[in-house]
Amino acid sequence: MKQAAYGFALFVFLALPPVARFLESVMIMHMHMQMPLLVIAGYMMARYFQLWFPGFLAKWNGNGIPGIVLFSIVVMYWNLPRAMDESLELAGSELFKFVSLTFLAGLPLRDSWQKVGYACRSTVFIGYMAISVALGLLYTIAPVQLCNNYLLIEQITLGWGFLTTAICMAVYVVYRLMIRHSEYE
Amino acid sequence: METTKLQLLKDKANRAMGINPSDALISKTYMFIAFAALLLGGILGLTQGLEKAGLITLPEWLTYYQVLTAHGFLLVIVLTAFFTIGYFYAGLSHTLGGLLPKVRTMAWIGFSLKIIGFPLVVVPVLLNDATVLYTFYPPMAASPWFYIGLVFIVLGVWMCAFGAFVQVASWRKRNKGQHVPILAFFATGVFVLLFFGSIGVTIEVLTIIPWAFGWTDTINVMVSRTLFWSFAHTLVNIWYLTAASAWYVIVPKVIGGRRFSDVLTRFVIIALVITNIPGGFHHQIIDPGISLAIKFMHVFMSLVISVPSMMTAYAMFSVFERRGRELGGRGLIGWFKRMPWGDVRFLAPFIAMAAFIPGGAGGIVQSTNQLNQVVHNTMWVVGHFHLTVGTTVMLTFFGISYWLIPYISKRVLTPKINKLGVITTIIWTVGMALMSISMHTVGLLGAPRRTSYTTYGDSATAASWDPYIIVLAIGGTLLMIGVILQAYAVFHLMFRAPKGETEFPIADVEENASETPYWTERWGRTIFLMLLLIAMAYVIPLVDMIVNAPPGSPPFRTW
Repeated sequence: MKQAAYGFALFVFLALPPVARFLESVMIMHMHMQMPLLVIAGYMMARYFQLWFPGFLAKWNGNGIPGIVLFSIVVMYWNLPRAMDESLELAGSELFKFVSLTFLAGLPLRDSWQKVGYACRSTVFIGYMAISVALGLLYTIAPVQLCNNYLLIEQITLGWGFLTTAICMAVYVVYRLMIRHSEYE
Repeated sequence: METTKLQLLKDKANRAMGINPSDALISKTYMFIAFAALLLGGILGLTQGLEKAGLITLPEWLTYYQVLTAHGFLLVIVLTAFFTIGYFYAGLSHTLGGLLPKVRTMAWIGFSLKIIGFPLVVVPVLLNDATVLYTFYPPMAASPWFYIGLVFIVLGVWMCAFGAFVQVASWRKRNKGQHVPILAFFATGVFVLLFFGSIGVTIEVLTIIPWAFGWTDTINVMVSRTLFWSFAHTLVNIWYLTAASAWYVIVPKVIGGRRFSDVLTRFVIIALVITNIPGGFHHQIIDPGISLAIKFMHVFMSLVISVPSMMTAYAMFSVFERRGRELGGRGLIGWFKRMPWGDVRFLAPFIAMAAFIPGGAGGIVQSTNQLNQVVHNTMWVVGHFHLTVGTTVMLTFFGISYWLIPYISKRVLTPKINKLGVITTIIWTVGMALMSISMHTVGLLGAPRRTSYTTYGDSATAASWDPYIIVLAIGGTLLMIGVILQAYAVFHLMFRAPKGETEFPIADVEENASETPYWTERWGRTIFLMLLLIAMAYVIPLVDMIVNAPPGSPPFRTW
């Protein structure tokens, strides 16, 4: 339960106007820091919901697939340049960002991750790696601004952020493929 | 089952018989080169110190900056790299039941690559074609062969790193579910940092080579500097982690105590590995072309490294106090007096640790933007790294040498050599204190670093620095005596000391120690986090430096 409290504290901290404004002032921090942190806040708070609403989660997310699908849809939506732009322009969209990434992405991710099988987990991981490559290429190659709110240089920086994230993920995938834990543990 | 029994028997035999001669030869060769570099680098250090003080004039064919380049290269690259590899390979051999034949081969291939690289580096320096100081970043350009030599050295280091990984992986396969022995865990951390930390500088050197040959016209200076410091700062922490391995594992055994919490020790190693590489930015804190926000972020990232250092300080003094009280020490500092002050294997690393208190504080000063602006290009910085590398790291290495060299040479440390070691440590401490304090002070008064002797047109301000520079030269002379004594002790212990068996001192964990969680063994995860942090740290400034790059710089020969 302590973890859920920390998650809630993180959520409140991220929602403080100066913190939110600061993180949103730089494109890569908006997408690669604020958004993942919101997911992490939800992930930490999930413990509370798992303990207090076990029936609800068992009914709607019994095998973990609905939760993973919900997580994937929400995360994919927030990868759209237009969605990020809108959150800076419309208060409703900003509110939706905080609520969706925390409670519709982070929370179901935790509840589902242990329930789904290895194949599903690998698909999500590799899928996200592929999206990172695609978005990385899009942001680094696109000759025009994709977001009204951010300059081209910030867009290129974010593109490289995606590409380096994908590289890290690829290193991890190669490591998992080459090294079997069962040989060592 | 049979294999495990056989392995246990082999381990027992290894412990009883000492190190395998083939493994010993590897460490002995590395140690020989390391201390030969100390001797040569020390002579060059004294030479440049006396020249800077205006006490000697160098001949026409040898310039101050040539000497400075060679001094830095021999002590900062050769000595530390060879010592680290020799020490950890002995540790891997001892704690993991002997090196595998293929690992031995890899160590020798690594050695050969480095030996091929050295003449390529040294000859241009001697010919005055590579007077670029050991930092070698553009726009100063050396002979291209100097950089090609560096590539060979890096490849040699990588080969040794991979050898260590193969050794550890093989041990883990043979000892399923067990924690890697702590010294081998330190070695893994150090070699992970050596490999990943040197990727940046390899990219830098590979872009410099065509530029130095004239195949490309210009180079991006900021990118080169950034890549260089991503490596050089990591190198600093590799030395620190190597020294810390002796503090955590060896020193408690030397004083007859037990080592501090295994969980904390492994956590400190993991934390240092993850947070280390981005620390390089604080060396560029007054560079143009990096925004203030990024510099601010990196001050934070640099200071994070001080957290595991603080943990280490606490752990060490806790071990000392516990042992001192076991030996009957009473009161607030009574335990302190019970320490084995006459044993060089304790005294040298203890002074090393003590020196890290002002050394670390000075490092925090330098990581702070405004304070760095006061000291950045002054002798203060030289004083700082003579305190950290020259004292904290070197004295720990000296302390290690008094048991490691006899261990790998199948000889013993005699009371006479121990006494010589104590005298060397005292001379080194006094010499380094004189030198470092005067460097810090004269730096605050404005004396620039990396400059040969000059009166600045008989300026009164410059003249006011002279007394400090003279103290610096006195300190340097004492250090030279220390270098000679230390080199003598090492070569004596290697070839002339009485034959016998010396223990490889590894302290046991404390009684009733809590169990170490297994996640500490998941190096894949640690490396993944490390890479993520590096990506977070470097993407924004590097993209800015490359996309908004100036025209670039042609090569310059400033000497």
